[in-house]
Amino acid sequence: MKYSRSLTGLCQYILLSLVFLKQLNAEASQFSEDESTYGGDTTFPYKENMHIKPLPRNHLMMSFSFNMTSESFVPGKSASNFDQYSHYYAFPKAIEPLLHHTSTRKLNLRFTRGFWNSKQWGRLPNDGFMSGSSGVELWAVIEAASKEDAYKQWKSLANSLSGLFCASINFIDSSKTTYPVHSFQPDEVTGGELPLFQDKNDLYLIRAALANEPVCTENLTPLVKLLPTKGKAGISSLLDGHKVFDSLWHNLAIDVNTRCDDTDGGKCHFEMEALVNMAIHVPNVLHRNENPIPRPLRGEELRCDESKTHDEYHCFPSSEESKAQYLFSKIFGKTIRGSKAMVLHVSNICVDVSDKWTALIKVNDGYFSTSDNCFDLNEESEYDLFLSTEDTNDILPVEDVPVYVSRSLTGSGQDYGGLRAVFNNPTSEPVKIIYFESLPWFMRIYLSTLTLDGKDIDNSNLPDIIKSTNYTPSIDRNRPTQLEFILTIPAYTSFSLSYQFDKALLHFSEYLPDANHGFEIESAVITVIHPVSYQFRTSTLLLSIATPDFSMPYNVIIITSTVMGLIFGMLFNMFVKRMMTLEEADKILVTRTLKYKLNVLRQKILSKFQKLTKKD
Amino acid sequence: MGLVERVKRQVAVMGLVPKLKKYLPLFSKIIALISLISIAILPIDGQYRNTYISENALMPSQAYSYFRETEWNILRGYRTQVENMVDLPLTERNDIMETWLNDIGAKTDTHNNSTIYGIFHSPRGDGTEAIVLAIPWHNSEGQFNTGGAALGVSLARFFWRWPIWSKNIIVVFSEDTGASLRSWVEAYHTSLDLTGGSIEAAVILDYASESDFFDYVEIHYDGLNGELPNLDLVNIAVSITEHEGMKVSLHGLPREELEERSLWSRFKMLLRSIKDSSLAGIKKPHGNEAFSGWRIQALTLKACGEGGIDITTFGRIPEAMFRSINNLLEKFHQSFFYYLLLAPRNFVSISSYLPAAVGLSLAFACSSLGEFVNDNQDSIPFISSYTLEAIIVWFLSITFSFCFAITYLKYTFPVMLMFICILFSFIPLISRGLPLAETKITVAHRMKAFAFGYFSLVLTSLLMINFPLALTIGVLAFPMTLVKISNTLPTSSQALKNSMLLLVSNPYISICAFSNIFDSELTGLATLDRLIPAWNDMNCWTWFFSHLAGYHAGL
Repeated sequence: MKYSRSLTGLCQYILLSLVFLKQLNAEASQFSEDESTYGGDTTFPYKENMHIKPLPRNHLMMSFSFNMTSESFVPGKSASNFDQYSHYYAFPKAIEPLLHHTSTRKLNLRFTRGFWNSKQWGRLPNDGFMSGSSGVELWAVIEAASKEDAYKQWKSLANSLSGLFCASINFIDSSKTTYPVHSFQPDEVTGGELPLFQDKNDLYLIRAALANEPVCTENLTPLVKLLPTKGKAGISSLLDGHKVFDSLWHNLAIDVNTRCDDTDGGKCHFEMEALVNMAIHVPNVLHRNENPIPRPLRGEELRCDESKTHDEYHCFPSSEESKAQYLFSKIFGKTIRGSKAMVLHVSNICVDVSDKWTALIKVNDGYFSTSDNCFDLNEESEYDLFLSTEDTNDILPVEDVPVYVSRSLTGSGQDYGGLRAVFNNPTSEPVKIIYFESLPWFMRIYLSTLTLDGKDIDNSNLPDIIKSTNYTPSIDRNRPTQLEFILTIPAYTSFSLSYQFDKALLHFSEYLPDANHGFEIESAVITVIHPVSYQFRTSTLLLSIATPDFSMPYNVIIITSTVMGLIFGMLFNMFVKRMMTLEEADKILVTRTLKYKLNVLRQKILSKFQKLTKKD
Repeated sequence: MGLVERVKRQVAVMGLVPKLKKYLPLFSKIIALISLISIAILPIDGQYRNTYISENALMPSQAYSYFRETEWNILRGYRTQVENMVDLPLTERNDIMETWLNDIGAKTDTHNNSTIYGIFHSPRGDGTEAIVLAIPWHNSEGQFNTGGAALGVSLARFFWRWPIWSKNIIVVFSEDTGASLRSWVEAYHTSLDLTGGSIEAAVILDYASESDFFDYVEIHYDGLNGELPNLDLVNIAVSITEHEGMKVSLHGLPREELEERSLWSRFKMLLRSIKDSSLAGIKKPHGNEAFSGWRIQALTLKACGEGGIDITTFGRIPEAMFRSINNLLEKFHQSFFYYLLLAPRNFVSISSYLPAAVGLSLAFACSSLGEFVNDNQDSIPFISSYTLEAIIVWFLSITFSFCFAITYLKYTFPVMLMFICILFSFIPLISRGLPLAETKITVAHRMKAFAFGYFSLVLTSLLMINFPLALTIGVLAFPMTLVKISNTLPTSSQALKNSMLLLVSNPYISICAFSNIFDSELTGLATLDRLIPAWNDMNCWTWFFSHLAGYHAGL
């Protein structure tokens, strides 16, 4: 144990040195080349790259991706086997023991906030498979002997991650946990088949989401700390909480998969991908960085539509500026620190732009371009990226979304309501999707009220559209409703799917803080399986439930006590008091004194004594 | 049980029961009088309270408002374009507005080809809540809302630049303040595809002039069926408006009376509050009424007069209100939902004014009891053929009035209705010569007892949710209790008096008279016409009729 610790410590030390200390560069590269013999093919198992893609109307999508691979290990050995030692190069030390301990074969964690405007921006990055619902979403494949065991492991995993990422993931309990049947299945799209370490066990896919859990710097910092560069070098040096979260949409994701190689004596290793995606509106961000207070523009800065009345008093604002020219340091407020340490997989930035754009990399004071707009950051210097164009709307075409789904709550009352999802297929092909929904137990849905509604579509089309239904009814306080439909949406068709639900009454203590806010309902997950592979989520919903006035119980207690007190006094008097004359009362009073009682006693004793003497 | 026994004996000894029975009609009058007095004293110092912001998160006007300077140029730029749109058909106007909103960056959609709306998704919020900025193209007076439309679009543009929003912002342009806006609100909660979460609050802008300047701000807040926005919303509106240096007028108070702060001014405002609230929906809607019933707090801001305050100052009211509402974590729930405003910063809460309506309903209950016990037929038991007869008539009258209300919804005939009502009222006068059988008199008494009892129950159930309406109809119908039934042939003066009382307390006649006298907007039979679009209220009036019918049969 001691030995293993000191060795890991040493490795960590070397790793740190590797990244930060310039003078150790030579040795470090020597070291990592030595390592190449250790793992077989890979070397220092860390890759990072950044993708930049302009979106319509001056928006910009940035995607930071980091890949790490763990050292190989022999599967099936107990994690508490003291003789075993492990060391870590690039793979975070916080994650691997956790995966061993909870027998997790696949871990997916998402922190997402904001609104992805799919009508304008097209498909989500990574076809949506790396995004989550607004808030925190976690799903994992856990190897266990039974479902109960899997749930225990899952709970332990959630609690550990909660601590690791400073998020309320520990609030995941059985009333939020679902076991998806069709969605989220590990397949080639999401990372391939998973190994089973012990044949008698099974794999369990478990998922939970915390809707609208705030995502902020305290979740980003632990994520950045998992990287070997720790945000000090490479592209992660751009990741500043202030800037990442000042975006229209952002997404932090972690995916860990287990890979086993039969040729390598059955050894396994973990592969981890960490991702930070964000979409910003460039002019707004630049303007805000220059002038944090949203003061009105100065007169000369106004851009007016020349074709309409415009003078000193009138200014009809013209459409958005289509010229753009900016340095990334203006957006992020800092430059990228290059590093020679990542010699084998150089930190890399790619810009996906059309020919109308100029993308340059600024190293120290020189600007350089490449033919494919991809830049390697292999110097120990400050890098900056420069983008300019005459027409910001001339961008690479965005990929259209195969289907649009929006969801809303209907009705106004506190006792019942409805849920309505609108499906719209704008394409010329039928689209096959999996619709996954997990609803809290206090929404008691009636599947019998399921209604299809649309142009030329009604309930008689249900069998044509809903191919398969998987429904797990809720159990009060114990299990959420889990609903999965496999739907086929005909080409150029739009319809709504709605059903009614009752709102259950909650216990007094079951309301969350800020009870009058309402309850957040997590988003529905739509996985498109045909014609393309794509995943996205609807927006979350806010369910308002009858909320008690929380000061009421105290008022009630006070008033009931008062009324009880008053009534008790009266009743007690009525039952106990007797009406009698003063003389009677005096008589009774006399008989009650101690002296009188003693007297009576004496009389009794005396009379007995007298009887005795008489007998004699 | 000694105590109760003792009281009972004492009552018997003093002969209180017959005395009480005899004085029941008098009690009824006294209670009604007390309830009227209890409401009339509310404007006296010490009876009302100063308003305060109950929800700490609101913090109105705590942040500096930036809708000024060059925003004014942009506003004027939009306004010159809006001015050209006056004569365009609605769809063209909406199309232009849609391109503008799209240009700013909103997701837009139309409802029924008549209402256009755009959603600005909040960059930092969770997107589950929304604030609405509604701009009717034509305001309640039918004037073209030039300034309002320009303000709406320039405010939307101004808001979009800010990263601070935690709730989505929805901008709605509807043709008018009534039906079209209402149908959008309803569709939002039932059938719209593009939605932006649950609406927490709505602000309706009414600036129906092309001028840069105006004088003061009218705030309209009365919802349908006695529903009011949370007092906190009205408070922040008043507080912000006054903070920006404008005068606030409630219930359309004219300019010259705005600065009055006296007992009399508060009293007048009290009456205006009650009147406007009880006639809400019947009067021309200001726009905020459209949001009633969906747990949305809404009010209308209306720029009035000509003076030295510029349009951006008006725009800063919604700006600051949006920022306040944006701060809220919870729905509006802290402050009062039932209140009467006596001045922009003075209010009376429900516990102070409710006893008045309770008193009125008690007065009707007394009358009912009085009719029941004072029919000089002590020997008749409760369960008798008379009672049965009365119940049947009462039931028939309710059925009739319900059917009548439904029919009236389809076929409107206000003049005819008025004529029938007047005719009914004169039945006692016409039927003077016909003697009533002894038994008929008992039935008449029983009928009155049931009618008043029913009335009292209805008032009681209504007074919690719609106090102003309960109070108004209670007062208007009270003369009915004074109608006398005599054993002998009624004298002509008595019959005339009965007729007059019936005439006055007839619901349609009295409501028409009431609105004609107190409201300049509703003249002639306009009230009855308006009842139909506002059929929500119609439900409230129908039972009224039941009395009437129950009555005449009795006479």
